Amino acid sequence: MSLEAAVGLRKGTLDLDVRLEVRSSGVVVLLGPNAAGKTTLLRALAGLVPLERGRVTLDDAVLEDTTAGVRTPTERRPIGVVFQDYLLFPHMTVLENVAFGLRARGTGRALARARALEMLERVGLSDRASAKPRALSGGQAQRVALARALATDPRLLLLDEPLSAMDAGARAELRRGLSRHLAAFPGTCLVITHDPIEAMTLGDQLVVLEAGRVVQAGTPEELSSRPRSRYVADLLGLNLYHGRADERSIVLTGGRRLIAADPVPASGEVFAVIPPRAVALHRVLPEGSPRNVWKGVVEDLDVVGNHVRAHVSGELPIIAEVTPGAVASMRLDDGGPVFVAVKAVEVEVYEA
Amino acid sequence: MNSRRRQAVERGTGGPPLRDGDHTGGPAGGRSRETAGGLAVVAGDAIAPPPRPEPPPWSAPAPATTRAARRGDERAPLGFVPLAAVAVAFLTLPLVALLVRAPWGSLPGDLTAPGVLAALRLSLICSVGALGLSLLFGVPLAWLLARVPFRGRNLVRALVLLPMVLPPVVGGVALLLAFGRNGIAGQWLDSLAGVTLPFTTLGAMLAETFVAMPFLVITVEAGIRAMDRRYEDAAATLGAGRWRTFRLVTLPLIAPALAAGGALCWARALGEFGATITFAGNLPGSTQTMPLAVYLALQNNPDAAITLSLVMLAISLAVLVGLRSHWFPSR
Repeated sequence: MSLEAAVGLRKGTLDLDVRLEVRSSGVVVLLGPNAAGKTTLLRALAGLVPLERGRVTLDDAVLEDTTAGVRTPTERRPIGVVFQDYLLFPHMTVLENVAFGLRARGTGRALARARALEMLERVGLSDRASAKPRALSGGQAQRVALARALATDPRLLLLDEPLSAMDAGARAELRRGLSRHLAAFPGTCLVITHDPIEAMTLGDQLVVLEAGRVVQAGTPEELSSRPRSRYVADLLGLNLYHGRADERSIVLTGGRRLIAADPVPASGEVFAVIPPRAVALHRVLPEGSPRNVWKGVVEDLDVVGNHVRAHVSGELPIIAEVTPGAVASMRLDDGGPVFVAVKAVEVEVYEA
Repeated sequence: MNSRRRQAVERGTGGPPLRDGDHTGGPAGGRSRETAGGLAVVAGDAIAPPPRPEPPPWSAPAPATTRAARRGDERAPLGFVPLAAVAVAFLTLPLVALLVRAPWGSLPGDLTAPGVLAALRLSLICSVGALGLSLLFGVPLAWLLARVPFRGRNLVRALVLLPMVLPPVVGGVALLLAFGRNGIAGQWLDSLAGVTLPFTTLGAMLAETFVAMPFLVITVEAGIRAMDRRYEDAAATLGAGRWRTFRLVTLPLIAPALAAGGALCWARALGEFGATITFAGNLPGSTQTMPLAVYLALQNNPDAAITLSLVMLAISLAVLVGLRSHWFPSR
């Protein structure tokens, strides 16, 4: 299973220019903020929007190639799509919805119905076969949409925000269910989301899309240890800085230095990441080992689990994770100055 | 992130809820928050709880003020009630008069009179035929107008809709000049195909189509524009070609518009008078439709005119009621 796509197109203010290579089966999650071009990319892969330039191949079959003038229409691409709000045909029953693709691809009526029932059984909804889509719950509709997309045995499955229509309470369970169904799918699966938890739990590979460009790709572990964009760092709640390497320190864009324990890459552009729990706050200038100390002001406090995240402004804006007890004893809410201390060993530096 | 944070907050220290608006931003790495001061948050220590945030608009029943305001909105501007009453009276009084003055006693005899039945039959044939022609040619036209951004689309739409506002008699004259025996197209039809349209049933049908089709086109075009095209995308990803998608997805989804447009079109065809009498004449049995028969009967046999009118009223009512239950089910 392999998907190779170079997609270039413009739509409104979006300028999409993406290279995507998937060489294995499994789930690739396309993560990005709103209007990053995720849905447009999905529609381009499905053939619903023509490419301005680029090439899409799936298992050696060229689906689209603008230089060669090749373009396979959507209905002849071996691609299944689960749309954002599922788009179950409202005038058909659940069974007719699932059988639709098989009928369209020439399967006989009886066989299509039998196969559709089988698909519904697989997603646990055979008892809803004769229901109309509007009688389904959100979770059921999602499973029907999945069954409908899988019924035609696509080689590539595209899912656009499959869980966004769910309320938060039902999401975790639906996510597990979806994860199970996707794991059983033999082909490649591309899932769009803007939810980092969904991305981390569903994806074997993550591709981060921002403003029409891939800014980072890798496994969830790679992304979470070495974020390469503000967006990813924000999602993970990490402090990310960008600067130039200079021996054992990094000169940040503002001119301030961050000192790291490990040798930093010889020279050039680097990222430095500091986990919030490694940031200490003091009311008086701390003595001792911390190599990075600067002054700041606590602007805001957030509760995350049983910790408090302090948003500190100053020379170097940073988020520090402290205990509720520390907030109380240091009176961090009074808006007075604090000293931020970060040990050099906690600063991780990698090439940009 | 939001959901995680929200959960985190719920699991939190039991302190007062976060400030209003705190749910909007993710924890911004290294970015400072804009709001200074007013850190009404957390921690076991006693901090005055923040003011209770206003409930979201969908959660609680509308507060009394809103309800009062809405009731205020429903108070009609001064004079609307009598004016509306005049409108209702004006629109219904003629129908009432028709019922009051109807020669109920002689009705069965009038209804079965040969002329009446012939006119009724002809009217049904012509109006249904006009509806069929309008559907056959009008639906593809509506689809193209709605979907294909070709040059001069607005001009085409304006031309197509012109018969709707054109006085029907003018339409009839124009039809004669186009399809009459010496018309610019009619002479070819006559000499090459041997088809004569004026003063034939087919001619009457075409005259009705000319006047009625725009109603179908405009309604169906609006329906096609309003439908969610992504259903067609979904059908395409499932392997359905254009025709299959149109037949099995688009048509059912625009069924309400199709029914409304069809009803309008058919009703307009049924009542057509001016273009028909101008183009097709008034020949009993072949071009004398109900409206023509009514008009003629009014000159010498008013009772028959009333009877014929009653028949058309009944048909119209039946269609209206039938469409209501069949095409516009209350969901």
